[in-house]
Amino acid sequence: MAREKIYLEEVFPSPFMQLWGIFRKTPVAMVGFCCFIFLILLAIFAPIISPYSPVDGNLDMILLPPAWHVDGNVSYLLGTDELGRDMLSRLMYGTSLTFGLSFIVVIFSLVIGVVIGSLSALTKGIKSSFLNHFLDVILSIPSLLLAIIIVAILGPGISNTVWAIAIVFIPQFIHITRYAVKEEFRKDYVLASRLDGASNFRILYYSVFPNIVERLMSQATLAQSAAILDIATLGFLGLGAQIPLPEWGAILANGLERFYIAPWTVYLPGLAILFAVVATNLVGEGIRHALKLRKEN
Amino acid sequence: MLIFTLRRISLFIFTMLVLTLLSFSLSFLFPGDTVINHSGQINATASELAQLNKAYQMDKSIVNQYGAYLTHILNGDLGQSMASQSPISNEIIELLPATIELSLVALLIAMTVGIPLGFIAAIKHNKTSDHVILSLAMLGYSIPVFWLGLLAILVFSIGLGWLPSAGKISLLFEIEFITGIQFIDILLSDSPYKWQAFSNASAHIILPACVIALAPATIFIRLSRAAMIEVLATSYIRAARAKGLSFQQIIFRHAIRNALIKIIRHVGLQFANLVTIAMVTEVIFSWPGIGRWLIESIYQRDYTAIQGGLLVLSCFIFIIHILTDFIYAALNPLARGNKHGS
Repeated sequence: MAREKIYLEEVFPSPFMQLWGIFRKTPVAMVGFCCFIFLILLAIFAPIISPYSPVDGNLDMILLPPAWHVDGNVSYLLGTDELGRDMLSRLMYGTSLTFGLSFIVVIFSLVIGVVIGSLSALTKGIKSSFLNHFLDVILSIPSLLLAIIIVAILGPGISNTVWAIAIVFIPQFIHITRYAVKEEFRKDYVLASRLDGASNFRILYYSVFPNIVERLMSQATLAQSAAILDIATLGFLGLGAQIPLPEWGAILANGLERFYIAPWTVYLPGLAILFAVVATNLVGEGIRHALKLRKEN
Repeated sequence: MLIFTLRRISLFIFTMLVLTLLSFSLSFLFPGDTVINHSGQINATASELAQLNKAYQMDKSIVNQYGAYLTHILNGDLGQSMASQSPISNEIIELLPATIELSLVALLIAMTVGIPLGFIAAIKHNKTSDHVILSLAMLGYSIPVFWLGLLAILVFSIGLGWLPSAGKISLLFEIEFITGIQFIDILLSDSPYKWQAFSNASAHIILPACVIALAPATIFIRLSRAAMIEVLATSYIRAARAKGLSFQQIIFRHAIRNALIKIIRHVGLQFANLVTIAMVTEVIFSWPGIGRWLIESIYQRDYTAIQGGLLVLSCFIFIIHILTDFIYAALNPLARGNKHGS
């Protein structure tokens, strides 16, 4: 019998893999995770798999109800809007705008926030106190309000919305990174590697980051669910994505005038937003639940 | 308590400085001339413009300009609205009470629904009712507020016809503006139709307030659940149980009080969130508040109004923050600072 491992080596899974092990065993979290992956795939491949163009209308097929309705047409599965544009294709393209953009925005703010946050965790004294107060002020203003103000400065449009939301989310990542890094720096294992002569940056990179990455991810899921809602709300208010773009909030605002005769143009995009936010929140809940269980063990 | 108060006051002054600095710099960031953005006088003649330049000290250094701007704000002069050419402070005084009223009613609904549900979930920890409440909470937290508002109008106003869908009160009632808070104004007025007006105003506020309350209520559920679970695990609860107190006595006499204190701390932060939701809801329900006014001034590119609105709204949010901090400190001696002997 071949024995590939001659020596019995004890393998300790990294904190992240321990977390994944627990996360995998929570069915609800896994459902949310699968939906999350599905949305990411949809956001990437929407242009290839969507049956029609999201902006070109077919004027013969105006305000067609969804296919399960008596008047529905199966080649337009979710019906059409007032210009005969296929709702399914619009929603698919909307995934890459609302969900995809929110994902990119959160990654962007996460990276910048983590860099600033970990640098600021190493400072002390008046600089640190000033930053603390400044963050308190920024965090006390709701994200949507700040985003609206930034959009007011930059002018309406989807790219300005994305910038506004990215700027708005940076402070909370700075805050959580700063807090988490400071907490880890007080622990003994950091002292041990400091006694070994490790520099601050080495400690940050090799010792602290592997231990705080899950907390950052949990914050990132919270931020993303807020980002989806913010992008959609700005789109709904007419400050975000502009008219032909199939952003979910904008589609919903567009259907508003024909709310009573064509309710599917309003409830379908709303359901899409709800689905995306619930999937993101489920993943976040799963991470937090797993964190709690790992701490208890 | 004195040190605590001084700390809060210094934080408040610092925050106000940052906020005014922000709104001051907005004038430079917005398109157009800075002094016109400050004052909002788009139709000013050359001589008026010279006067404005002098009033805002535009020829001096930026520090002097900021000082002049601050003096204007402290005198209650936020400039004129570019769209309507009326003073912004007057418009805000008329509109802000409506928003305060709506948000306070929503906060009340959110707390009375959310906190007991959270307690129930905590007491039945890891049982079916806990899971049901938590799943409902997550669903409520994820619903986009504008969609919920539209569905509520569709169901309760158009479908069932129970509640009105727009406005603050029916136009039939003429209520004199005294405090701006509708319910108080109605009670103060000597109209013979006082009670009809009161019930009409309540019917108007129910739908928007419930829509606003949903998301904060779900957060209150989570907060109160976490607080209650924490309290139930403490040793004084175990001691009470060992003493032979019944379950109800433990919950009502010991657990709820201690859990509520922890929740009060978060009310301020939730209020900020709630005001943002209220802004969007005001647009949907045509509620004549400051949120709708602010969003409309963005459409109209009324930069002076945006500045003023931002300043007043964030100031209001921050005052609520500090107030809850004070209430929390008054109720909980542990929060007031140095813990001796710990």
